[in-house]
Amino acid sequence: MNRRTLLGGLLAAGSVTTLSACSSGITSLNESSGSTAGGGSSKGGITIGTANFTENQVLGYLYAAALRKAGVQVKVRPNLGTREIVIPALKAGDIDLLPEYQGALLNYLAPKDDSSEPGTMQNALTLALPAGLQVLPYGQAADSDCFVVTRATARKYGLTSLADLAKQNGRLVIGAAPEVKKRRVGAVGLQEVYGVEFKEFKSLDSDGPLVKGALKKGDVDVANLFTTDTDIAANGWVVLADPKNLIPSQHIVPLIADRKADDTVRKALARLGNILTTEQLTQLNSQVDNDKKDPEDVADAYAKQHGLA
Amino acid sequence: MTVDWSWIGDHTDDLTSLTLSHLQAAMTAVFLGLVISLPLAVLAHRVRPLRGFLLGLSNVLFTIPSIAIFVLLLPVSGLTRTTTVIGLTVYTLVVLLRNTVEGLDSVPAKTKEAAKAMGTRPLRTLLTVEFPLALPVIFAGVRIATVMSISLVSVATYIGDGGLGQLFTDGFQRDFPTPVIVGVVLTILLAVVADALLVALQYVLTPWRRRRA
Amino acid sequence: MFELIKNLGTWLTSASQWAGQDGIAHRLTEHLQYSLLATLIAAAIGLPVGLLIGHTGKGAFLAINLASFGRALPTVGLVVLVFLAGGLSMLPVYVALVALAVPAIVTNTYAGMTAVDPDVRDAARGQGMRGHQVLLQVELPLALPLIMTGLRLALIQVVATATIAAYVSFGGLGRYVFDGLAQRDLVQVLGGAVLVALVAVVLDLLLSTLQRFLFLPHSRLRSSGGTPTRTA
Repeated sequence: MNRRTLLGGLLAAGSVTTLSACSSGITSLNESSGSTAGGGSSKGGITIGTANFTENQVLGYLYAAALRKAGVQVKVRPNLGTREIVIPALKAGDIDLLPEYQGALLNYLAPKDDSSEPGTMQNALTLALPAGLQVLPYGQAADSDCFVVTRATARKYGLTSLADLAKQNGRLVIGAAPEVKKRRVGAVGLQEVYGVEFKEFKSLDSDGPLVKGALKKGDVDVANLFTTDTDIAANGWVVLADPKNLIPSQHIVPLIADRKADDTVRKALARLGNILTTEQLTQLNSQVDNDKKDPEDVADAYAKQHGLA
Repeated sequence: MTVDWSWIGDHTDDLTSLTLSHLQAAMTAVFLGLVISLPLAVLAHRVRPLRGFLLGLSNVLFTIPSIAIFVLLLPVSGLTRTTTVIGLTVYTLVVLLRNTVEGLDSVPAKTKEAAKAMGTRPLRTLLTVEFPLALPVIFAGVRIATVMSISLVSVATYIGDGGLGQLFTDGFQRDFPTPVIVGVVLTILLAVVADALLVALQYVLTPWRRRRA
Repeated sequence: MFELIKNLGTWLTSASQWAGQDGIAHRLTEHLQYSLLATLIAAAIGLPVGLLIGHTGKGAFLAINLASFGRALPTVGLVVLVFLAGGLSMLPVYVALVALAVPAIVTNTYAGMTAVDPDVRDAARGQGMRGHQVLLQVELPLALPLIMTGLRLALIQVVATATIAAYVSFGGLGRYVFDGLAQRDLVQVLGGAVLVALVAVVLDLLLSTLQRFLFLPHSRLRSSGGTPTRTA
């Protein structure tokens, strides 16, 4: 931490121009990440980071709209990368707030924890989080990882659940984001819980054009997508059932640095969490992916419509 | 593939700030590259054994994929502009070091001897004779480093920065070509304008060369 | 830091890391295949163009400024653009790599041609040689050292940039860099980076040895051959 600040300072001093906080996605070197004692304060403004997939951008901009309405200064840094990248950045103070998912976050922090009910998960998260970070109350909207196959593949191999995949060991190719190869809700858990061995793991993207394109083209047999993607129904893809509950419940939950978590922030995000439903979130995602609207515009329009902005 | 012109109209503010942020990253890197490479180049020019080592090292650094450099810097400087700037500076160093050494080499030995004979001290010779004469070659390096950095900034989009490069990942994720086209065009424009400005600056800085042209 | 380098050693030397679909041997082969094919295509385009410009003297402005344009092209944007236009295939990767390599080849070929002594050219004409004979029997051999330098430069740039193939789901050594980024596995990223650098250095060494072996008599025409560039 000390080394980082020193380095940043040296560079800032050496650069011709001082970096000003511009709009979305632009890093400011001037922002110090010193922690305040006690409950934390959002006075200095909050930087919201988002992971590299559509829904997380939408959620980030929804958080931004709700916080702005509450009078908090916000900046959104979209598309920062995977959980493996953004959580260390949150710890380091590069960002202050992240839209997260209960189960996936718990899996990342404590892979052995098998809590499955949202309430217990919330407690488990609180225990598992490193000092300086906390989760705020989870919202009603949820989005889980899921594994889907095309109808033709389902018929060909007789696939209805994840357990069926093991009968085709060594025959099927799975497509998912690269990080899923090492995640429990991914290649690791499928092997441990269901005994599935794939012929190949293809590194693609998080519910993006690569993985969906590969599934359509037949380059992969099984694809890791999110349940809030309208393309699953639109293409008639089959979501494989999870009888052994490998995939945990995934309510959306704000993950925030203690130093920024004050009552204003808590209230604003709790209000959003109570209003936003899974169906609405699914629709918002589709507006971005299919209607090519900007995540920011989609989020702002929703916030306005629901009295959040 | 069609361009959605209304998208461009609706995003002029975003595009402006991304362009500025893009330019800022590139310019900072070239500036830092110059600050570091000028003394190193003098060293490499004067001390023969160091020359091979420094040029060789910078050539090897050049073969490392830029994405890897950005990622490997994450434990040091995190998801910040600092990471972007350090990564870019590494690449400008290669170009600037090589050109500055070549520029200093190109100064005729007789000129240096004349300066010495007139009793000019070494540091003064360096600043008032060697550097000015090496300036055209150094400037060629600055131009290359600038254009290269402007192109290279966009790679930092993989670590959440990258100026106009953010338009590439955005367009990619939602299968929407307009931001990508705009990003490519603006990047090239930025490079062309910056290059032209540097040519103009060089014209101003080296008046003695004009007569020959 | 020490830990990272120690782990890199383990990563590079473990047998399991070398085997299989995601093994180093396979990724290395893919990387070489992308790089060499892209450079070959670029040479097929860039060499005739550079020779023609040098021979006729027409289009010199293009030859000189193409290098600058090539440096300005953002590779990531180009890859995404071709992907969005044409769908998922290796085409976006090859387009971007070829676009990166052609300028270096054209510019150096042209430079090699202009370095040919005009007297030599005139003498060849005076002996009754035709245009294409002058080009192929006199100018080309004399320009070869610089042409080779251009090819070397192009290949080095392409090797480092071929990493981008992994961004659009393909293989090569970039797989380790992009997967390592997604998994925050720095050892894997470093491993990929070191291997790419190694490939570039070894190929450069091979080509420069070949160059020295071939052109010893004309060694005075050898030059440092322009500045390399990077766009990804």
